[in-house]
Amino acid sequence: MRDTLETMRGRLAETPHLMRLGRLFTETVQLRVDDAEYYLDFEKGALVAITEGPSRKTPYRFALVTDGEALARFWEPLPAPGFHDIFGLVKLGRARIEGDILTLVKNLRFFKEFMALARREAVQ
Amino acid sequence: MTAIEPITGRYLTVTVEGAPRRIYFEEAGAGRPVLCLHTAGADTRQWRHLMNDAEVTASHRMIAFDMPWHGKSLPPEGFETQEYLLTTDAYIETILAVIDGLGLERPVLAGCSMGGRIALQLAALHPERFSGFIAIEASDFQPAWYDIDWFHRPDAHGGEMGAALVSANISPHAPDEERWNTLWMFMQSGPGVFRGDLSFYTRDDSLIARLGQIDCTRTPVHILVGAYDLTCTPEDAERTARAIPGATLTVMDELGHFPMSEHPQGFRPFFLDALARMRQPAEAA
Repeated sequence: MRDTLETMRGRLAETPHLMRLGRLFTETVQLRVDDAEYYLDFEKGALVAITEGPSRKTPYRFALVTDGEALARFWEPLPAPGFHDIFGLVKLGRARIEGDILTLVKNLRFFKEFMALARREAVQ
Repeated sequence: MTAIEPITGRYLTVTVEGAPRRIYFEEAGAGRPVLCLHTAGADTRQWRHLMNDAEVTASHRMIAFDMPWHGKSLPPEGFETQEYLLTTDAYIETILAVIDGLGLERPVLAGCSMGGRIALQLAALHPERFSGFIAIEASDFQPAWYDIDWFHRPDAHGGEMGAALVSANISPHAPDEERWNTLWMFMQSGPGVFRGDLSFYTRDDSLIARLGQIDCTRTPVHILVGAYDLTCTPEDAERTARAIPGATLTVMDELGHFPMSEHPQGFRPFFLDALARMRQPAEAA
C-alpha cells in the first residue's frame, strides 16, 4: 500500500489539472486499509507527506476506511458495479467516510480523481 | 468539420401554478410522439443523441423540454426570493401543460431518474394522456444517502459538487467525452436547482402506494436500469417493477444512471427495444 500511495503521489504531481483543482486543498486525510493507517498531508493539492500510523494524536479532516481487496477492485481498469467509485464502496458496505464529510464533498472531484490515480497502473 | 443537426428548438409559454412559464423545447423526427424528460439538475441536452438518431426519428417525433429553472427555460417571475422545491403536483402540471401546449396526442413518455419517477406517477394518475411509459433509472422511492443542502450553499459551487457526486452513477464503460458532457450539465445547473429537484426525488414517497393501480394492459410500462447506477440500483428498479402488474424490466449491464447521455451507443439498442414494446394506442386493450 505504501508503494501504491507513493505512486499516486508522483502521478498527482504530474497531473496539472488535479494540482489546479486542489489548489485550495490543504488538509490531512486518514486512509485506513484493513489494519493499516496512513495520514496523507496535502498542501495546496500536493501530497507532501505520507505517514504510516497508528497514531492517536494526529488530527485529520476526514477518513476513508476500507479494505485492501475493495481497493484492489476499485483500481481495476473496468471495476465491477459498486467498486467503480468510493461512494459505491460505501454503498456496498466496503468503505465508510468518517470526519468532516462536507470538506470531502467540497473537494470531491479532486479527492476521487486522486484515489483513482492508481487505476492507470492496472491499464498499463 | 461542419454539420447542422436535425434538432430544432423553440419556446412555449404555458401556465403552471397560476403563473406563466417560458419553456424551451426541442424536437426532431416525425411520427409517433415521444416526450422525453431529463434528470434532476440537467436539461434536454441529455437526449440529443437519440434525437439525432435517424433510425429513431424515422418513425418517432422526439420532443424534449427543459423544466422551468433548467437549461434555457427561465425560472418564474420572482424567483430571486423563492426557494425552488419541485413537487409531484407541479411536475405533473408542467408536463401536462406542455403536452396540451404542443397538442400532443397520447405521446409515449420517456423519463430518466426523476423523469422516470414522474413517468410512473403519470402512469398511475393520468394514463389516458399517454400511450406508454419508458421509465429509465426509475424506482418507487429512495431516501437520500447524502445531504441535499450540500448542493446549495454560499461557500461552495453546488454545480461542481453535484457533478462530482453524480459521477458515482456513471459507468466506467461510458466514453470519457460523454461522461464529461453529462457532468457539464450538472456543473451548469442554476443555484439551488439540483437541490430542489432532489427534494422531490428523495422526500416524496407517494408513488409507492400508487404502483398497484398502474394498468399495463392499457399503457405499457417498461423500466430500464443500469447496473452501475448507485442511486436507482437494479434492486430498486426490480422491486418497483414487481409492484406494477405487467411491467417489464431490462437491466443494462454496462450503463449507469444517465444512459442516453453518458453512453449513447450502449443505450441505443435498449431504447429501440423499449420503443418497440410501446404498442400503438389502437393496439391497446
